[in-house]
Amino acid sequence: MRRIMIDRYKCEACLGCVLGCMVEHNKKGKSIYDLDLEDMANESRNHVEVDYENRPAPIICRHCEDPECVTTCMSGAMTKNEETGLVEYDKDKCASCFMCVMSCPYGVLKADRINNEVIMKCDMCSNREVPRCVEFCPTRALYMVEVAR
Amino acid sequence: MKYLILGASAAGINAAKTLRKLDKDGSITIISIDDKVYSRCMLHLYIGKKRSIDRLSFVEEYFFEKNNINWIKGRRATKIEPEKKRVVLDDGSSHEYDKLLIATGSSAVVPPVENLREGKNVFTLRNLEDAIAIDKLADGSERAVIIGGGLIGIDVAVELMDRGLKVDIVEMGPNILPMQLDKRSANVYERELKKRGAGIFTNVLAQKGVLDSNGNIVEVVLKDGTSLSADMVIVAAGVRANADFIEGTNIKFDRGIVVNERCETDEEDIYAAGDVCANKPGIWPLAVEEGITAAYNMAGLERKIENSFGFKNSMSFYGIPTISIGNPNIDDEDYQIDIYDDGKVYKKVVHKDGIIYGAIFQRDISYAGVFTKIIAEKIPIDTIDKNIFKIGYGDFFNINSKGEFEFTKREYGLKII
Repeated sequence: MRRIMIDRYKCEACLGCVLGCMVEHNKKGKSIYDLDLEDMANESRNHVEVDYENRPAPIICRHCEDPECVTTCMSGAMTKNEETGLVEYDKDKCASCFMCVMSCPYGVLKADRINNEVIMKCDMCSNREVPRCVEFCPTRALYMVEVAR
Repeated sequence: MKYLILGASAAGINAAKTLRKLDKDGSITIISIDDKVYSRCMLHLYIGKKRSIDRLSFVEEYFFEKNNINWIKGRRATKIEPEKKRVVLDDGSSHEYDKLLIATGSSAVVPPVENLREGKNVFTLRNLEDAIAIDKLADGSERAVIIGGGLIGIDVAVELMDRGLKVDIVEMGPNILPMQLDKRSANVYERELKKRGAGIFTNVLAQKGVLDSNGNIVEVVLKDGTSLSADMVIVAAGVRANADFIEGTNIKFDRGIVVNERCETDEEDIYAAGDVCANKPGIWPLAVEEGITAAYNMAGLERKIENSFGFKNSMSFYGIPTISIGNPNIDDEDYQIDIYDDGKVYKKVVHKDGIIYGAIFQRDISYAGVFTKIIAEKIPIDTIDKNIFKIGYGDFFNINSKGEFEFTKREYGLKII
């Protein structure tokens, strides 16, 4: 399967990946010029943390082989696609119980900030060859790899 | 190989799914009293008319056909005969197995309160039939008394109030949700409930129900003398394992079936998973994990329960989410309690000597899963020199060659980079 690889030492916390994710998931258009940063509905599915030594670390869903968010999901909204390897989220099935947020050991997940209803979950930009976060990363801290499962 | 699974909920279904993944040709049969697959965690949404029965399912459409699983519904096991390797059902039929999984869950118990077990309008919420019955009676009812202010009790309270009933909640603890929350975080929900007309009675037990001539409870009297009138009573005060049929076997039972980390019982080729098992909180994620683990071992592949930490709960009422992990109510001055409280967002972390034992996150639950991991595995944080609420996976960041995250090993009291 394909994964977004992270070289944290190349990350300069420019938040390009965060912007890229917001651009891709913006309902009003997929260009950077369509993105209104004051619109609370624009949220990213990834984030960048700064650790105890002030080093940045991009936190992006791994689409785990043994995904805790799937194990823990009681509505069937979070599923592992055995063909593509992706962990997919169906917001129509989701009951907003937040057990996935509670269970992801890497702290990748959160609920949307407006209604606290929908899980902000990476979809690897479904139809794109290269996910937007990777495309937006100017230092190549993010890049695509094909990994054996 | 002939696999037999008793129960079609979190543990049973996930075991069957995993068995099919691991063994393409084996015969898999599920026997369950349930004739539909549904998530027990969503039953209250049926009562609130927010989901139809179909939308309570947690499996894909045609799950049984797609996975080639034989399903015998509406039947329960009455006896296991390990020496003959077969299970006898309530219709007298018997089914042989090579590997058997017991995943029959638990049933709600009604405490020995006078007239509570006799009342015709007294319900628990465990099965779809319960939800259907509550939904029906709610139509002609004006007042409901809920005995037990835990997660299920509050779930039902919210939905019944949503349907216009006047609801009174009786909880023996100092506040609602006493297993998960502290006073501060529980008060937020109590306030929301009261705002909508709920009566909340804490630190008190129900003493008796008053029956009318039709055998319905019309009044619930509390130990402090308070009397609450009722058209229906919901009891959400604990569960008991469904395992009567193991009588006569060597399966060890101690308020639940006793299993090892491979989900094996004391009887050869018999496994157990989910709420029917002993000594742990009955929560969905554990049941699934156990179902998967049992399936691996049934298929001859070694797998152990890595983490049976079950003291974690998430909830959301009236748009306010909360996650509770470990024990956030430790009352011991040896422990340090850190609190963030801006009047809305509330966060609490209880720790001692660099180990976190409990936490609550209310209104802002983003990325809280890291704390579940840290608390469950007692990962030391004493060398992480930053605001405790800002601790995140970034502090443990480690990515392997396959692009998977791992936790950097942090030795207690040592700084390791």
